[in-house]
Amino acid sequence: MNRILATRLSRLAQYSFLGLLFAFIATPMLVIVVFSFDANRFPTIPWGGFSLEWHRAILADSMIRDAFVNSMLVGGGTAVLSTLLGFAAAYLDFRYRFRLKLGFVLLVAVPPAVPATILGMAMLAFLSRIGLFGRLETIMACHVAIATSFSMAIIRLRLNDLSRDLEPAAWNLGASPAAALFHVVIPFCRPALIASFFLSAAVSFDEFLIAWFVGGVHETLPVRILNLLQGQVNPKINAIGAVVLVVSVALVLLAQRFTGVRAGRRNPAP
Amino acid sequence: MTAASVTTRASALRRWSWLQGPRMTGSPAVLPSVLGLPVLLWQAVFFAAPLVFLVVVTFWQVKAFRLEPAFVLDNWSRILFSATFQRALVHTFAVAGTTTLLAVALAFPAAYTIAFRLSPRRRDLAVAFLVVPVFSSYMLRIYAWQIVLSPEGMINALLGLTGIGPLPLLGGAFSLQIGLLTLTLPIAVLILVFAMAGIDRTLVEAAENLGCRRARVIMHVVAPSVRPAIALAATTSFLLAFGDYISPLFMTGSKPPTLSILIVDTVKSGSQWPRASVIGVAMLVMLALVLGIGQWLSSGRATRREGAR
Repeated sequence: MNRILATRLSRLAQYSFLGLLFAFIATPMLVIVVFSFDANRFPTIPWGGFSLEWHRAILADSMIRDAFVNSMLVGGGTAVLSTLLGFAAAYLDFRYRFRLKLGFVLLVAVPPAVPATILGMAMLAFLSRIGLFGRLETIMACHVAIATSFSMAIIRLRLNDLSRDLEPAAWNLGASPAAALFHVVIPFCRPALIASFFLSAAVSFDEFLIAWFVGGVHETLPVRILNLLQGQVNPKINAIGAVVLVVSVALVLLAQRFTGVRAGRRNPAP
Repeated sequence: MTAASVTTRASALRRWSWLQGPRMTGSPAVLPSVLGLPVLLWQAVFFAAPLVFLVVVTFWQVKAFRLEPAFVLDNWSRILFSATFQRALVHTFAVAGTTTLLAVALAFPAAYTIAFRLSPRRRDLAVAFLVVPVFSSYMLRIYAWQIVLSPEGMINALLGLTGIGPLPLLGGAFSLQIGLLTLTLPIAVLILVFAMAGIDRTLVEAAENLGCRRARVIMHVVAPSVRPAIALAATTSFLLAFGDYISPLFMTGSKPPTLSILIVDTVKSGSQWPRASVIGVAMLVMLALVLGIGQWLSSGRATRREGAR
């Protein structure tokens, strides 16, 4: 009897702990969204009443509109390019053996592990010397260098499930390597390619240090927020924050929708 | 014939197929080069070259606010022997170390509950929930904590109703750890969940059938099987906390400065690129050392165990 009680209490403690942890992770996101509709200038309790004033204010702010457009351009470009490069890297790793392969894979995989402060400073120092400072394309190029790592990981995971015999079968039937790539491998990878597209868009949409360093006068949305945050308390921040949050959460959820990654194997291979 | 031997034969065929002449269009190296070169070039120009240049710049000089090529060790000696750098280094190590311990200690029980107590459906939902913050709006979430913890913020407003005076929640070690855990905890939990979900359940059942209590199962079955994942979660948390810029900036107002804050300040004040680069390179070397030690600890112990058997 005592033991059952102990088990129940232990379960209760475990679930409560997990609940608290999830609350800790969810709280800041909820605070941003909820208080973007607050009429008060400073977000606190008690709630100052429902208002769309700050959402209207950001629509009227041309700097925020420009930043939003910049973020969209950079994010879209990053999504396309890093998916292409990530696919190429994942496929090479999957299909071929070559010298210095580990070095090649690391060159693609490592960038997100380098602290963005250091990477941003290094990119600024180097790229300004070759005349690429302060352009939207430069922000995009730097974001691609980071996001390709995630694209490669997602696509490589999908390629693990591609039967190694499928391509040789296509070759035996007379397909060239390129034809097999386009008619066998790419269709098979489509969900992962879509997931990689959304995830790299999210990575770019969320990145601010590198964009801040190399962007010059071109501000992306997170950079605009960073600059607003360093000034006075500004109730617009909650409203932009809510927009950014909704966009980036939507991108990540879309990416997840297309990856089959699950914790633990549901259908063990026979 | 097994699948493996087909693959080996196919790859052997492919390797020698250039001898057979016109069966294929172009040489077999064309496709991999077409795929590989753009990736190689892109990562070389926008990732590797900047880092190499960072090392080069540490030996350059700034004269009249202009960066000039040189070979001086002055930047290194000035930074490494400066009290500001040394204080920031110790502080950053202490902060990142604390975050690492907290993140693993909090993530382990949470991951255990997710992996062993939740139904597969709920587990997928939990994983989906945890992946979102890894890729979205870190800076905004820190800003949210700032307004929650500030003297006029939500927690103090609620405390005020109960008569407890405003607590200085913001601007110290407490708020800094809140910020850094916001960054590290979701990833640490995810790494451990994936490792624990991969544990062979029959091992756990065997231990239970032999009369092990939960605590012993966790100590002797779960923890040893996820040791590499614990090392990975710890090193990832350390890496993120060590290099973070936003939490120290907004949660403590950069006082005392961490190394990342020091880098940005050094760049801003008088364009001291070489000195900022020294700090950056030093940080990278230290991170590489920490990652190496983490790897060695997790794999070294595992092999020693294998050997003991």
